[in-house]
Amino acid sequence: MPEASLGKERTPLGVRRGSYDDLVQPMATSTPTDVLASEPSAASGRTRFTLAKAAGSLAAQVSRLTGRGSGVSIRGQVILKLDPNALGKSLAGRRVAVVSGTNGKTTTTHLLHAAVLAALDPAASDRVVSNDDGANLAQGLTSTLAMSPDADTALLETDERVVGEVVRLGRPDVVVLLNCSRDQLDRNHEIAALSAGWREAFVAAGVGGPTVVANADDPLVVWAASAARRVLWISTDSRRSLDAGLCPRCGAPLPPADDGVWACSSCGLSQPEPDYVVAAGEIRHGDRRYRPSLRLPGEFNVGNAAFALAAAHVLGVDPDTAIEAMESVQAPAGRFATVRIGDTPATLMLAKNPAGWAETLPLAGTDPVVLAIDSAAADGRDVSWLWDVDYEQLHGRTVIATGPRATDLAVRLTYADVDHVVVPDLESAVSDIGRPVDVVATYTPFQQLRKMSAR
Amino acid sequence: MTARTPTDDVRIVLVYSSLLGIYGDRGNAMVLARRLHWRGERARLIAVEPGRVLPDDADLYLLGGGEDAAQVSAANAMRLDGAINRAVDRGAVVLAVCAGYQIAGHRFTDGNGVDHAGLGLLDVVTERSAHRAVGEIASYSDILSGDDGWLTGFENHGGLTRLGASARALGRVHAGIGNGDGTDGAVTGRVLGTYAHGPVLARNPALADHLLELVLGRPLAPVACAEVGQLRAERLAKAGVTEGLRLSA
Repeated sequence: MPEASLGKERTPLGVRRGSYDDLVQPMATSTPTDVLASEPSAASGRTRFTLAKAAGSLAAQVSRLTGRGSGVSIRGQVILKLDPNALGKSLAGRRVAVVSGTNGKTTTTHLLHAAVLAALDPAASDRVVSNDDGANLAQGLTSTLAMSPDADTALLETDERVVGEVVRLGRPDVVVLLNCSRDQLDRNHEIAALSAGWREAFVAAGVGGPTVVANADDPLVVWAASAARRVLWISTDSRRSLDAGLCPRCGAPLPPADDGVWACSSCGLSQPEPDYVVAAGEIRHGDRRYRPSLRLPGEFNVGNAAFALAAAHVLGVDPDTAIEAMESVQAPAGRFATVRIGDTPATLMLAKNPAGWAETLPLAGTDPVVLAIDSAAADGRDVSWLWDVDYEQLHGRTVIATGPRATDLAVRLTYADVDHVVVPDLESAVSDIGRPVDVVATYTPFQQLRKMSAR
Repeated sequence: MTARTPTDDVRIVLVYSSLLGIYGDRGNAMVLARRLHWRGERARLIAVEPGRVLPDDADLYLLGGGEDAAQVSAANAMRLDGAINRAVDRGAVVLAVCAGYQIAGHRFTDGNGVDHAGLGLLDVVTERSAHRAVGEIASYSDILSGDDGWLTGFENHGGLTRLGASARALGRVHAGIGNGDGTDGAVTGRVLGTYAHGPVLARNPALADHLLELVLGRPLAPVACAEVGQLRAERLAKAGVTEGLRLSA
């Protein structure tokens, strides 16, 4: 397979990095009074970054040896503490692709990673770095990049709140915006503000800004992306409900679209003509049609593949190569993996918010089905969203409710008239079943089940 | 009181879900309808989106939570429509939660410091707080009795709400912020407001039944649900309301 044109426009092979201090803009976190953050010269800036990385690696090693974790996050924390400009320095000189949105980031990043790797000689795979583990805040990104100083292409799953910073510091070639839906409102109080923040970043980036691969079905994404230099619009056949009650441009009420095509009757902001259309398992782009045989279930994953396909294309990957590579992706970061917990083969599915549950719950077909709910910081401390999920579709089956917020789920299921049993302990809720079962879990129990299966 | 006969469905209006339904607010409608159903009563849920006319002859109106811009838009639309005020004049019952609670007052200040007129159904005004209140809230309400008076919920708002002479607080705050003065929510006539947001009636079935009894004008037979009792115990304990404290209430 011929090597694609990765790095051709901006960062030809062998002529990258080494001069990152010249490229970096100071981060907003540095203040004149902060002695550590002020950088009198490029040389001392480089030294600081090098020392910070060494200290970060040490911290990560300690974390691993003491069994506290993978060390990814602590490495990033230490590096950023010692060198507040580290994220910008780590990004500089690389070709960057950002994948963000409230649902589907990790899977789409894995699909894009596979597509980009397929376009390279296998011997050159260390040219690509990606945070496949989903550590997507500033510390996770810094940590991942510090581990791979020689990779010239960075494919970064990026938390919604960090997109603006990465656009400013990393000048990505492509930014994928999957959706903008309600998620963890105890932290993100306003999804409208997230979308406005993305838009500001694209306005500030101007003509040097990224190509944005954006969801044409989501008004909040459309308003943000339409400020970008160039946009590839994707329309998917997904069941995601749209959370824009108001037109993001003029503030007029935006009623739910009857025929799936939305438009503001007040200011005229409307669904853009899509460049890629996903319908009935097929991705259409101009005259081309692709029907990927993904190893991941659900129409929404064909949608994720369409975003990855478009992003790969921007990075110079041939579409047929990309599709073939994406077909080999299996269980990205444990999603849809079938693992063994005790004697039970369990298929693990992650659902973090109402939009995620709407996609995932229909794929959980076993009887009983296990639903695991937690409200740790990573899950969102408020479980009010349980009432936005259509658990009524489980009528006729039995739910095993588990996790620290199993009782909240049990009350929801009582009102939904769905049979259920509460088994508070996560491990026994799954291991006692003894036959194949689907498990849908929020973030924390999902990760706990992955760990149990790895024991 | 509206002209309703005992055989009528209880008509429950879910107001502008796309604006005031940010986090499980529709759960309150589901809880009310199901609790009527369990008693052999009939409920009719009417969901009205902005741009559509609100009925002024329904029994119970539910106003939920929303983001800043959505809140302002919803308040303006409701004031222009006028149906909820007419319905309340005729004796309809209102549960107003979070942003909806602020809208039900005389006025509220948005995130940019701009004042907006509310519906004036509750004798309260809301200003902006320097700190956002996010977390579990527990309060005790005298409009209910015994252990049922403990209200549990989750709050997520940036409002400081002051009560006027014709409003009384819904509850005294034990944990959390609520109105910001040691109380949560407000009651004026048959209109109730609270900062315990989203599906507050799921955790507080006595409050749900109280609203239904206001509508029906007669007491409802109790229904037992062990899991709701368990949930109340878990959430109240989390908020520091111990069993001893609950029994002494």
